Amino acid sequence: MKEMIYQTVCPGCNMGCGLYIRENEDGKLAVDFMKSSSANLGKLCRFGMKLPYHYSKSVSMVDGKKASVEYAVKIASDRLSGEDVCVNVNVALLGVGNTTNEESLAFNKIADRMGTIVNTGMGVYSELPTECHPTVGVGVTLNDIENVNRIALFVDPYIQYPLLVRRILAARKNGAYVVSVGLRDLHLADENRYIDPDLYESELGLDSGSVIITELHPNTDTGWVRRMLNLALRTQAKILFMKPFVNAAGVDLLCKGAGQKGIPEIMDGINEGNIKTLVVLDSDPIELMPDSDAAAAILKKLDNLIVITSRDSPVNRIADVVIATEPQYAKAGSFMNVEGRLLNNVHVYGDNNLPSGTAGIDALSTLNQYLGGEAMDYQTLHNKVLESIVRKYTKPKYKELACQVLDIGPVEGQKGNLIYLYNPFMWFDQPDDNDFVLVNMNMVKKLGLRKGGMIALGSDVGTVNIRYRVENMPDGLILSARKLPVATGWITMVSTEAVL
Amino acid sequence: MVEVGDMLVGYATDEDIRSRGASGGLVTAVLAAALEKGLVENVVVMKHINEFEAVPIITDDVKEVLASIGSLHSVPVNLAKYAVGRKVAMPAKPCDAQAVIEQAKRGMIDLDNTYIVGLNCGGSMHPVTTKKMLVEMYDIDPEDVVGEDIKKGKLVFKTKNGEEKALRIDELEEAGFGRRESCRFCTLKIPLNADLACGNWGVIGDLSGSATFCQVMNGKGVKLLENAIKAGRIEVQPASDKAIAIREKVNNVMVDLGNTLEKKILPVIPDEERLQYYIDQLADCVNCGACKEVCPVCACGEDSKCTTFHSLVDNYKMSMYHMVRMLHLADSCISCGQCSDVCPSDIPITLLKSRFAIPSQRKRNYHPGIDLDTPPFFEVMLK
Repeated sequence: MKEMIYQTVCPGCNMGCGLYIRENEDGKLAVDFMKSSSANLGKLCRFGMKLPYHYSKSVSMVDGKKASVEYAVKIASDRLSGEDVCVNVNVALLGVGNTTNEESLAFNKIADRMGTIVNTGMGVYSELPTECHPTVGVGVTLNDIENVNRIALFVDPYIQYPLLVRRILAARKNGAYVVSVGLRDLHLADENRYIDPDLYESELGLDSGSVIITELHPNTDTGWVRRMLNLALRTQAKILFMKPFVNAAGVDLLCKGAGQKGIPEIMDGINEGNIKTLVVLDSDPIELMPDSDAAAAILKKLDNLIVITSRDSPVNRIADVVIATEPQYAKAGSFMNVEGRLLNNVHVYGDNNLPSGTAGIDALSTLNQYLGGEAMDYQTLHNKVLESIVRKYTKPKYKELACQVLDIGPVEGQKGNLIYLYNPFMWFDQPDDNDFVLVNMNMVKKLGLRKGGMIALGSDVGTVNIRYRVENMPDGLILSARKLPVATGWITMVSTEAVL
Repeated sequence: MVEVGDMLVGYATDEDIRSRGASGGLVTAVLAAALEKGLVENVVVMKHINEFEAVPIITDDVKEVLASIGSLHSVPVNLAKYAVGRKVAMPAKPCDAQAVIEQAKRGMIDLDNTYIVGLNCGGSMHPVTTKKMLVEMYDIDPEDVVGEDIKKGKLVFKTKNGEEKALRIDELEEAGFGRRESCRFCTLKIPLNADLACGNWGVIGDLSGSATFCQVMNGKGVKLLENAIKAGRIEVQPASDKAIAIREKVNNVMVDLGNTLEKKILPVIPDEERLQYYIDQLADCVNCGACKEVCPVCACGEDSKCTTFHSLVDNYKMSMYHMVRMLHLADSCISCGQCSDVCPSDIPITLLKSRFAIPSQRKRNYHPGIDLDTPPFFEVMLK
């Protein structure tokens, strides 16, 4: 077999970074640079550079044993048609946007057939007036960022969305003033502010020539999103909500906004026994929840856990049925990035007998037919996608929103707030060499931390000894770019002491 | 009978290849012949995706070689790493050939098994910048472009409707477009380090635009040409004295321009400002490692000093990774620009590395990637 080359989009976040995946005769993968990609000019972050480790192929399973895709689909349909399954009551479907628009649309049709909806895991959508959705869904273009006069930055681009760095630096070169309102000092900012959220409007100097860059993920506090939307509304600044999933914008447009449940809400539903069957499409709650062990324990309470997935991940190992599809880079289909741009996967080179890239669609189609629905084919779905999801950034048209923000609590004594700087490695639970936390010098002195030593963090769920790096940041914070076994949420109050 | 040192003008015998090729299709025909006659097992070529994108492929299919015809000034890829571990023939810009030779010095490429068909290069452009330039400077929709060329200091674009539009390269560069920064101060324009040095400079008279000037640099170059002639793929004739002189003149102009631009692009930084300059330039590094991955002369693999000595947990004011790389590449860096191309923070890494490498190489009269005879100067110093 010849080397195969696929043009695809990095799954690390919804920046939409174009790249090539090269698959050699032995199935070994390598990343190559696609310099004509307008989103990233071929540039990739450390997650993108490590993509070959991310693409671990999935295997179809039924009750823990290997099975054919056909058999897995049949069993999945049997379980979904079972007497105990009441679609409006105890079934949830989850697809956060880690796959193509076409598969997401097919998944939606299955949801329609079952009389339910696909949850995107962003519970915020159901808590926001629908007129806010366009503004949250698709942001300003990445090129526009380079031409604003002021940027208010509420994310840490170096760790969370690295391909934003060059856009912000370009904006500065073009005369923009950059204010970071984050959790640590950022080199690319003209000014680093740690201010009361009530003062954002008066202190940040935003106007219609400015842009607010913030983020939305499954664990984002709704109050925070409302606050950001209010800030954009009052100042007339443009706004960009970065999101962690490659096709987050696409699935938002394809799924029905009303009644959306966030992943934490779904997990609560399972834990309380209200949700008995969960069907996930390329979405792993064990990876997505801050406390992986707790998430796995909750998922084990399900009667039916049906996983349709393109990669091997922790949820596959506890699923009742795994329906394996081709790797994301090999799928026929499209993704929508954060600026509303539709990006297509393309088989660039390889054998004439290339697979069609529709194994996922075919599995979903078969499942739909078993459930009494119609057959679905790739081209029809793709045409539907082209008709239905083109959208550009629109100026805010909503009204002022009431909001109550989940603020970071005060700390006393040797306590600290452990905060997750969510990044692509965390969302996919991928190994990285970021095995340390960030603390400030006051904490180093207070705890008597030694150079090259470790800090001990403790919470109700465990303890961990970990290395630290010193940063300029407010007192009482401990920032982490990897999951730690002491965390119970996005923010976790932890005890701190030096490891002697 | 071809001999080392011959200066020839030639073209593909196949009319289709000749007409589709940028300069008579000689390079394509030579590569195809090398494959079909078993001189090599594979050929590295660029598979066209569009005028602004192509991807390197390693093929044993003559049809794919023939389909790769055409110049690609907007696809700045270095092909050296694609040749590692194979018996191949490849087209090569001077910097591709330099990287192949530096890899060979480090035991990663067997030059006996690697046939390098060199291509003159006045410089390459970044595809996204080129598209923007087309809109802003040429008033051409990038989708309408079907071909491009460089003629007499002008960059020429051909459109679907048969029109040609040309603008002076120095004017484009003054406006922030044109060639990549590293190409502007490059002074190796004719690939005399390849087995064959091919290009359209010096092709004059009736053959202008439909033939290639070809200098035979060594025994492998002889083999390549004789193989292609024997296969009936090409015809060659001696270049005239006038043609040789014109080629030399064009090259001199390009080299002089490169030397002038080097002073402009790499101005001297006062000693007292130098450390802070590097600290500031590297402060936005996001530790992706792409500059190492893409580097065509890096032969270290995953276990390397630059990554081993570097840790994200460190609080150094300047990245240990970059400091090690600057030192390590001082003898081998060819200033090809690949590292700057792929840097997600737009750090001008090529310029930073060149600031180390160029003076070091000049001090020791070392020219990276020219021949196998001179060992890397670090190797000499360590011995």
